[in-house]
Amino acid sequence: MNALERHRKLTTIWASEKGFKGWFSTVNHTDLGRMFLVTAFFFFIIGGLLAMLIRVQLATPHSAFAGPEIYNQIFTMHGTIMMFLFAIPTFEGLAIYLLPKILGTRDLAFPRLTAYGYWCYAFGGSMMLVAMVFGIAPNGGWFMYPPLSSAIYSPGINTDFWLIGITFVEISAIAAAVEITVSILKYRAPGMSLDKMPIFAWYALITALMILTGFPPLILGSVLLEVERAFGFPFFQADLGGDSLLWQHLFWLFGHPEVYIIFLPAAGVISTILPVMCRTTLLGYGWIVAAALALAFLSFGLWVHHMFTTGIPHMGLAFFSAASTLVAVPTGVQIFAWIGTMWKGRPELRLPMLHLLGFFFTFVIGGLTGVMVAVVPFDWQAHDTAFITAHLHYVLFGGFVFPIFAGIYYWLPHVTGRRRFFRLGELAFALVFIGFHVTFLAMHWVGLLGQRRRIPTYAPEDGWTAINLISSVGSFVLAIGIGMILIDVILHVLTASRGRRNPWGAGTLEWAMPTPPLAYNFASLPHITSRDPLVDEPDLAVQLARGEGYLGTPRNTWRETLTVDIASGKPDMHVIYPSNTRLPILMSAVTGVFFVSLLLKFYWTVPVAVIGVALLVWRWVWGLGRGADLAPLSIGHGITLPNAGMTDRSPGWWGSVFLLTANATFFGSLLFGFAFLWTVAPGWPPPVWFDPSMTELGAGLSGAIIGPIAMRLAKSVNGKGRNSVTGATMALFGAILIGVACAAMMWRTPSPVDHAYGATLFVLGSYGLFHACLAMLMTSFLIARIVRGFTSAVRRAEFSIIGLWVDYTSVIGVLVLLAAHLPGVLQ
Amino acid sequence: MKDIFRILIAPLVWFASFSAVYGLHGLLCGHEVSGVVLGLPLERAYLVAAYVCAIAVQVVLIVALYSSRLASPSPFVRFVSHATGWVGLIATIWSLVPVVFTTYCG
Ligand code: HEM
Ligand SMILES: [Cu+2]
Repeated sequence: MNALERHRKLTTIWASEKGFKGWFSTVNHTDLGRMFLVTAFFFFIIGGLLAMLIRVQLATPHSAFAGPEIYNQIFTMHGTIMMFLFAIPTFEGLAIYLLPKILGTRDLAFPRLTAYGYWCYAFGGSMMLVAMVFGIAPNGGWFMYPPLSSAIYSPGINTDFWLIGITFVEISAIAAAVEITVSILKYRAPGMSLDKMPIFAWYALITALMILTGFPPLILGSVLLEVERAFGFPFFQADLGGDSLLWQHLFWLFGHPEVYIIFLPAAGVISTILPVMCRTTLLGYGWIVAAALALAFLSFGLWVHHMFTTGIPHMGLAFFSAASTLVAVPTGVQIFAWIGTMWKGRPELRLPMLHLLGFFFTFVIGGLTGVMVAVVPFDWQAHDTAFITAHLHYVLFGGFVFPIFAGIYYWLPHVTGRRRFFRLGELAFALVFIGFHVTFLAMHWVGLLGQRRRIPTYAPEDGWTAINLISSVGSFVLAIGIGMILIDVILHVLTASRGRRNPWGAGTLEWAMPTPPLAYNFASLPHITSRDPLVDEPDLAVQLARGEGYLGTPRNTWRETLTVDIASGKPDMHVIYPSNTRLPILMSAVTGVFFVSLLLKFYWTVPVAVIGVALLVWRWVWGLGRGADLAPLSIGHGITLPNAGMTDRSPGWWGSVFLLTANATFFGSLLFGFAFLWTVAPGWPPPVWFDPSMTELGAGLSGAIIGPIAMRLAKSVNGKGRNSVTGATMALFGAILIGVACAAMMWRTPSPVDHAYGATLFVLGSYGLFHACLAMLMTSFLIARIVRGFTSAVRRAEFSIIGLWVDYTSVIGVLVLLAAHLPGVLQ
Repeated sequence: MKDIFRILIAPLVWFASFSAVYGLHGLLCGHEVSGVVLGLPLERAYLVAAYVCAIAVQVVLIVALYSSRLASPSPFVRFVSHATGWVGLIATIWSLVPVVFTTYCG
């Protein structure tokens, strides 16, 4: 087979549907990455327009441009859109587009999940836009503090749009994070051991892990607040055993890591581009990896620095102040590694490099003002002033937008396969840089003069007039600059001058392919021996196109790839991907019905949507099975691998591990909330305690013991080639017992609207019940599989996956039941 | 997976002990605790004891990560896990040092 035949064959196997219909059925990471990025930039423009409205309003004293009610919506939506609908999705889009290419494989781990995540993002984002168009957008500030955001002080639907819409969007963040984690750990080119991974992959991996542990507290907070607003469960009402500070803890437990979730991918972009711009290699690869890891961890110990003014005891303040100063160290390590890289190389002032310099200058200042506000007495002065908004824009714009602009200009030739023709970009950079600093330096200053954030207007006597006008003029210069970048990019896409391959002379794998990229990325997969494969082997692209790598011969109509051992990069499984389908968009539409029903309080459509999603999930997973065993398959170069469905640690198992990590964080946050209310909230002890029942507790506990044992039994019986229906049925029975015990607990809990104690127990019980139902669904699925002949001693992957979920259900089931019954038993 | 574990363990333990000590402080302040041990008020004694334990655990982890029996076979993973090991220890010492000298519950 010659290169052209191979290309044709692979294209028929891998191509998405032609035309715009293809958007709805594509599961290809290149398509979806581009869709993510375009949508995210659409939201960046909307958020930017809102920023312009803010600056128009503040340009003059006593401005009559917008009233306070509208102004509240404008700044809330600006912050919300920029954080949730621009920054995070931009990372997801970039990672989805780039990772398989840079790791030398053909797609991400779960292609349909990529599509599902995209559509959840698109639908959730549209909900927010609808709210804005109708003038009922959220208006409580981007961190939505109760009691302001509670039903008493914000009776309208505005806040519900935030809580429900953002949770919907978060589904896409969690989906992408699971996907990215498994892809980086398992879906790499053979030979790419951990130390040979491109640095961007390390950053993306760390960011994804942070999303998995950082977002669940926010999702929990949103669920609790929405339940409080809709049904009156008093989680955040101090007079009924709740505490509004609980929200602040949950929010910032997410919110501070969020800042690093935004910064780390940008740092990944910098670490990738900078060495190429300086014609050298990255200095201190191991140090950078360690520093990024340290940063990720430390950032989880800082959340209280957003709460320095809430009256927390001194020692608590001191812990978080100390930890906050500590993060400057790993950030410094990275900055020095970058400076060292520049020192070592020969920097060339090409366009991406200009944006990187813009980053350095801005981010260092942002970091310094950050250390200033980490010092408690200073923060008491600056809290809630324009100084803080100025600081956060130095970090976010400097630390994210400049690097992303650098990334856009760097990878644009890859996306389009074209050369930049018009040279608007340099001028645009100058305008953005000057405009940005004028706007936000002025805001630091006026903040120190006492201007609070989020005020719709001020008086001439305040003496802030001139500074605000300067700031607003600066912001218009900035906007013109961003507009020019947009025009530059559009012109680039439209002008037809083909570029050459690898225009920057980079060493990473994404340039070892024709551009724009093909649906299958690589005609055959490379074997990696160093961190910069293209430097060692400049015509790698040609060799791969000739089919000299792995999996060079298309088989059947399979979309094939392989996975590797995490540490060593030795190939370990053969994978067949699903192909184009509309299932993801359908499923996210039904998911949307669920959220919209909650929003509009159409509660009778909620169960319909839940059942709909369950049916679709069933179909989704059912399609993965095989009716007969597959012998180990050759991948070329004399290696044969078992198919993923014939192993214990299949991609689905890995995906479950990381999804359960996020889930466990959610549950952990719920327990934290319970303990927090119990020990800190006023209004405790509750008027009545839960009445313990040995029967219920005993039933639940025995279910929790039966389930895991039965699953292990089923697995070992199946491994011996015998029928394992009995074991699976026993596991189903165990799940039913847990479910019944949790349902009884919800039924008998003290009235959840009278005290936060009952409310929390109710939520704990529903968490247990939900997982019990999930385990029932899964074990029933397994029984159906066994009966229909989809399992065998070889085809065993599903036993491990479902076993994992049954184990998890048992553990949380026990904890939930103990939390309810134990206090009563002890008394 | 083992290598990932080696890299993550020390900072994870830091996070756990940081939260635990913060929680302990909350508990001590929520419940009236009084008494004197070794010339220290009981609250302070508890907190300092927890602090010392947290540091001890980190030291054990570092020793383990350096020991030839438990360290990773890959030099790169060894390097990164040593670095994160030190991060865990330093972060523990630095972020919890307030238990020694700031006032509690005020
Ligand atoms: C395009 C240029 C931008 C301008 C001119 C701008 C301007 C502003 C201004 C003036 C405020 C203060 C509103 C007030 O306190 O009354 C603000 C708030 C905020 N901005 Fe921006 N911004 C820009 C870009 C961004 C970006 C890129 C992000 C994040 C990635 C961001 C995130 C936020 C957040 C989180 C707030 C706080 C909202 C709140 O108080 O609830 N901004 N912005
Ligand atoms: Cu923070």
